[in-house]
This record gives sequence, C-alpha cells and structure tokens, in this order.
Amino acid sequence: MKVTVKLFAVLKEHLGPSVTIDLPATLSQGQLKEAVVKLDPTLEATLVNCRVAVDQEFVNEDVLNLSDDSEVALIPPVSGG
Amino acid sequence: MYYLRISDDPIDVKKLYAKLVAPQYGGIDMFVGTIRQWTGDIETERIVYSAYHPMAERQLEKLAAPIEQQGARVVIAHRTGELQLTEAAVFVGVAAAHRAQAFEWCQYLIDTLKKEVPIWKQEFDTDKVRWGE
Repeated sequence: MKVTVKLFAVLKEHLGPSVTIDLPATLSQGQLKEAVVKLDPTLEATLVNCRVAVDQEFVNEDVLNLSDDSEVALIPPVSGG
Repeated sequence: MYYLRISDDPIDVKKLYAKLVAPQYGGIDMFVGTIRQWTGDIETERIVYSAYHPMAERQLEKLAAPIEQQGARVVIAHRTGELQLTEAAVFVGVAAAHRAQAFEWCQYLIDTLKKEVPIWKQEFDTDKVRWGE
C-alpha cells in the first residue's frame, strides 16, 4: 500500500517534508528504513540512528502494523533544549 | 495544570515564572537553556529549531502529567525558528512543596526532553552548518 512517511531535520533537508512509498502493511523498522535509503543512499548512516513513530508515538517493537490512515514518521536523533 | 508551549514566540521568563507561583508551593526551580557562542573550537552564530507538531507537545504532556499527579506544577516552553546568541531556547520550571522535589523534577524534565521530544536544532557555525545530535 502507499504510505506517506513524514521526515524531519536532516532527512527533510534531503528528501522534503514527506515521501510516499509502496510498503507492505506489516513490515520491520529496517524494511521501512531500507525503502527510504533507496531514495537517497547518502542517508544510510543517518537512518540507522532514526526512531520510528506511528500515529505520533515512538514504536519500540521492531514490527510495524500499518493501516491506510496511519501517520508514519522517521525521527532523527532529537536535539532540543 | 501544566503549561506546555512550543512556538516561534520569544520566551518570557517573567510570565512563565508567574505561572509557577501559588500558595501550595514552597520551592520553584527553573532552567533556561540559551544559545551559546562557543562549543570547544566551534563558534556558533545562530540556531534554527524545528519540531514535529503535535507529537512534540504530546511527548511533553507525557513527561509533565506524572509529575503534576504528584502535586507539582510544570511549565515548559521551547522556541522554534531562528535564535540568536544569548536568546532563550527552552524554559523548564517546576513548582513543588519543597525544594528537593523541584530540583529533581526540573532536572529530570530537561534531561528527558533532550532525549524524547521531537525537536531539532540546526546550528549555523562559522565553519559550517551542523544538525544537532
């Protein structure tokens, strides 16, 4: 299914505020990151350190279960404060 | 009730302090993070902050709610947009019955904010532009 992935900070600088990619409804965090690496291989090292959020909650489990209205985001290491 | 705000508006320490003052509290601890010029040999000129709204606000609520449940008051403000040297980037204030709790919770909140709240800084240094880590 088509999934829109929100991007921030350095990811946003490279690829814009979001990308829409074809993904299975159930996938690992690694699979999500690999799909984004394909769009820009220079982001590989950054993506390793990114966390995944679904519906604005960090996902700690490796497996993501997405539905059509899931809000998916890749969260680079945060640096507020 | 806690007050949490992430916005481009400048941080008004006096106004935020006023939100912490109440008769049931005997200790107010406040932390203000400001834009520093030097980090070792790196000279910073300005910093641009951005946030994932409203996830960032939701994360702040998750930090503040358990502390408020213990009877304290929490006030947190974080700037977004472009900040110049010496400007306040973040304000964390805790009012509690006694100082030990106020110190402990204020430190906990700023330390946890830096790890768990989706806000990013882009540092404009004299040698190059850096994303904060």
